[in-house]
Amino acid sequence: MIRFVLSRLVLLVVGLAAASALIFFTLRLLTGDVAQVIAGTQGTAEQVAAIRSSLGLDRPLPVQYADWILGLLHGDLGRSIVTGSSVASQLGQKLAVTLPLAGLSLVIGLVVGIPLGVVSAIRHRRPSGTAISVVAQAIAAIPAVWGGMILIAVFAVTLKLLPTQGFPSDGWQDPARALRSILLPALTIGLIEGAVLLRFTRSATLGALNEDYVRTAASKGMTRTQAVVRHGLPNVLLSVVSVLGVQLAALLVGAVLVEQLFALPGVGRMLVSDVGVRDLPKVQGELLALTGLVLILGFVVDLVHRAVDPRLREPGE
Amino acid sequence: MSGVETVEEARTTGRRTRRAPWLAELLRRPAGVAAGAWILVLVVSAVVSSFWTPHDPFEADPASMWQTPSGAHLFGTDGIGRDIFSYVFAASRTTVLVAVSAGLLATVVGVGLSALGSLTARWVRESMAVVIDILIAFPTILIAMLLSSILGGSLFVVVTAVGIGYGVNISRVSRAEIRRVGRTDYVLAARASGVGPAGILGRHILPNVAPVFVVQLSLAMATSILAEAGLSYLGYGASASTASWGRLLNDLQVYIAIHPGSVVWPGLAITLTVLAFNLLGDAIREVSDPRLRTASNRADRRRNHS
Amino acid sequence: MSSARIRTTRARLLAATALAATSALILAGCTAGSAPNGTGTPDTSATVTVGLVLEPTDLDIRTTAGIALDQVLIDNVYQGLVGRTSTNKIVDVLAKSHTVSSDGLTYAFPLQTGVSFGDGKAMTPADVVWSLEQVKKTKTFVNSADLAKVKTISASGNTITLKLSQPDSNLLWALSGRAGLVLEKAATNDLKTTANGTGPYKLTTWKQGDSIALTRNGDYWGTKAKVAGVTFRYYTSPSAAINAVISGDVDVQTAVDATLKSQLTGVDGISLKSGKTTDKYTLAFNNRVKPLTDIRVRQAIREAIDSKALIAALGGSGVTQGGPIPALDPGYEDLSSVDAYNPDNAKKLLKAADAENLTLDLTYANFYPAAIGDVLTSDLKKVGITLNVKQTDFTTWINNVLVDHDYELSIVNHAESHDFGNWANPDYYFGYDNKKVQQLYSESLSATDEATAADKLKQAAKIVANDAPADWLYTATTLTAVHDGITGFPTSSTSARLDLADLAKSE
Repeated sequence: MIRFVLSRLVLLVVGLAAASALIFFTLRLLTGDVAQVIAGTQGTAEQVAAIRSSLGLDRPLPVQYADWILGLLHGDLGRSIVTGSSVASQLGQKLAVTLPLAGLSLVIGLVVGIPLGVVSAIRHRRPSGTAISVVAQAIAAIPAVWGGMILIAVFAVTLKLLPTQGFPSDGWQDPARALRSILLPALTIGLIEGAVLLRFTRSATLGALNEDYVRTAASKGMTRTQAVVRHGLPNVLLSVVSVLGVQLAALLVGAVLVEQLFALPGVGRMLVSDVGVRDLPKVQGELLALTGLVLILGFVVDLVHRAVDPRLREPGE
Repeated sequence: MSGVETVEEARTTGRRTRRAPWLAELLRRPAGVAAGAWILVLVVSAVVSSFWTPHDPFEADPASMWQTPSGAHLFGTDGIGRDIFSYVFAASRTTVLVAVSAGLLATVVGVGLSALGSLTARWVRESMAVVIDILIAFPTILIAMLLSSILGGSLFVVVTAVGIGYGVNISRVSRAEIRRVGRTDYVLAARASGVGPAGILGRHILPNVAPVFVVQLSLAMATSILAEAGLSYLGYGASASTASWGRLLNDLQVYIAIHPGSVVWPGLAITLTVLAFNLLGDAIREVSDPRLRTASNRADRRRNHS
Repeated sequence: MSSARIRTTRARLLAATALAATSALILAGCTAGSAPNGTGTPDTSATVTVGLVLEPTDLDIRTTAGIALDQVLIDNVYQGLVGRTSTNKIVDVLAKSHTVSSDGLTYAFPLQTGVSFGDGKAMTPADVVWSLEQVKKTKTFVNSADLAKVKTISASGNTITLKLSQPDSNLLWALSGRAGLVLEKAATNDLKTTANGTGPYKLTTWKQGDSIALTRNGDYWGTKAKVAGVTFRYYTSPSAAINAVISGDVDVQTAVDATLKSQLTGVDGISLKSGKTTDKYTLAFNNRVKPLTDIRVRQAIREAIDSKALIAALGGSGVTQGGPIPALDPGYEDLSSVDAYNPDNAKKLLKAADAENLTLDLTYANFYPAAIGDVLTSDLKKVGITLNVKQTDFTTWINNVLVDHDYELSIVNHAESHDFGNWANPDYYFGYDNKKVQQLYSESLSATDEATAADKLKQAAKIVANDAPADWLYTATTLTAVHDGITGFPTSSTSARLDLADLAKSE
């Protein structure tokens, strides 16, 4: 087990290093640079060149890369090349919107998806089970953007219960107001995510239903539901956990889309606008932080999965 | 002794799931049939709209903005007077193009990566797994953003981004499946009787994992349509000169507070199409994966596997 | 007896008249002004929140271009010797008055006294001289070229004198902009994130991606601001902007999207005001590449476009523009009859130029509405031209179109006022090179009286319009949504400048 942890740790570090190189050099492929943006539409070539050199953008790429990595090793995520503000603080501000959004969406998804998935599998030959499955199918097919628009049209425009867009400018100072602002966006991602998880849980539970140990338990006098819940559920949950890693990336995608639709000042919108302005040091810091977050979460999920699921052990352990 | 028998059995079992009864099974499922029918409608629309649409989908007529559905305009008109029905009709072409290209690319990438992974030594596999994890952490959106900033938004960007992004996902999902099949008795037996890795792959692993890939192809197509909608919404996908359901959503979204009804049409089109691909994938999975068969087939199974 | 009664009657008459007059005055005071429901007394402790569109990338008034900075900082925090009204008239600000010699070579500006910067230090003539010299010397400063004809800048006593090598009819205008701003020589603050000026407000905070806050300068040398502070919020999404003003998150919303204005009609307590701008939405042709080198093709494109229909599709928020100079700028003439909408003639021109069934690329930035490109696609298709529309982000546009000149058609909002000089610059991305226009322009600059300067511009503009190097789609009119009780908010030229010195909020 220790060897597994260590090897995964080494791979994590290698992964981060590879990610940093990938991010840095891919971003440099973008046309145009921030010096042109600062110089504006009336800027002359000399003005652009002067700005470029004052920002250190004319140094050779490997030098700029080494500079960045050195800073990272000191724990400095870098500074915006346009305003000089620290990437970490900006990221922190925006994560204060995106993380609660992603978290609430995940909670909604799990709460809706897993129980209903299990129920729908247990009742798969009855109308109620089929109905749940069909509705879940339909919801999982809805594009997040359209789903959000429908929710806005119903709850915000017609019923006027919730704000159509935006996030309070004083952030979480008024938690109730902030929560109302992320409710519709979280529902948008969460319900669709829930439908996906529902289908996955349903198929995993159907699989468990056919397993010998469940039939054995049923023959011992438990109802099928009890048998599945007591014996099958741990395996079902494990399968769901293994899929969550992928779903995290999907949540981030969903977050970028709904942040745009609901005009939320989160990480997604910040990335889009920073790339648009070519504030590369800021973008690379943000991308690396996000990639690192997902990699670390994946690492943790792997460890948990490995520690708990006997089927994944390599032969000889 | 038992090895030879089980290899024979394995060969027979493997093949049985691929013969004609498979198709008959599929046709017995109403959801699968409905899904297939809708996809057929989609393909026909794509073909027909290349030659004819009721109005020119791009013809703006500011004198007739925001008209409600009528005989002249089945779905009404948008903010610059374009006929929404003609636009949605013409955009089916884009949908079919994206679905097919992205689905194929994703499958090729997915199969390639997972086949590579299963054939090679453990340390190669592990490092590839990490590279794949990194690529997964790069959500499709970011790949598309970077690509479109370099190349300009276009369908090529969408297809490539989804193909790589989803292909990597597929390889991860199939990794587990390949590992599972690799541990079954018949494969172990084949290995014991001297069949090489390529042979194992070609004769045992791929045929048994094929249904999973077919299902993944269908899901990849569904995902690519959703991705195109999202990316075109953000401006990284279809350009304004290409009719696309996602772009129409983008154009209409600003007016949601004053013309909420107009977004129904492109959104419904996307949802129905994605649903169709998902249902089709599910139907194929049910037909081909013995584990999902209901009790009526359990007797059959038990006879073959014990 | 009778005289007493007469006196009483007269007194009563007088009293009655006085009462009537006073009531009339009070009533007039209540109903006059820009806020019909304003109850009169401004609340001097109030903060007004204003919604804007594009946030500045940083606050460096010297090196960072873009009107996003001008909107927030000029007139409110930074000031110059002269300024401009919202309808582009020159007014004296830090200068008490200004005189120009008859040969146009000497400008004198006696300064106001008692002026201090936001950090408390007094403004001296040396600060003014230093500021102007910095702009002139440092080529990387925005608008440095505006002071090219200034030979010497000197101070004698409290008067600043500028001596020119040639007359420059644009100089006063330039001094009302970035070139003329007065900064403190001894100050060491970081210009990227802070601002220290002589204006009625001080810059307090900037929350990037969110808001910029100004507070009243208690030691302002002129009439103190009537509000305690102004907070600017940024909304790039037009519907978010409308929601913000309806919900009261902002008191004033600028640049309201005209296609959404029906959301605001009938909303209690909000009035929609219309104003003029110099936002010229221009369809630029790359005059250097075929087939756009042929004037018939360019004219055909112009005649294929129905500007009135385009304006209608955009909510009616614009006026047709036939030539390069808008109504608020000197030298304006209504040239909308040049290459007016005539698709049949357009087809004839294309046939004559042997350019039927063209395919052209249209590249423009993605913060412009897609509707413009869509309407143009439709209009041009009717004369046989297929348009490939590409919307890119702003930086890609700057790089590809502005710098590399790698484009065929592009749409840009040239929002700056007094920018006819672009048409006299053969290196500008248009690639338009007409010697007569260049000559007329430099004659206009060397004119010593306004009328001649304007007339030369008018002649040059007519030549440009007839050469069809671009199509001027429309000049925007801007809509501002204002909550009742807010007065003193400018309604014209709001994308370029926002002079909030008279802003007041009453409950």
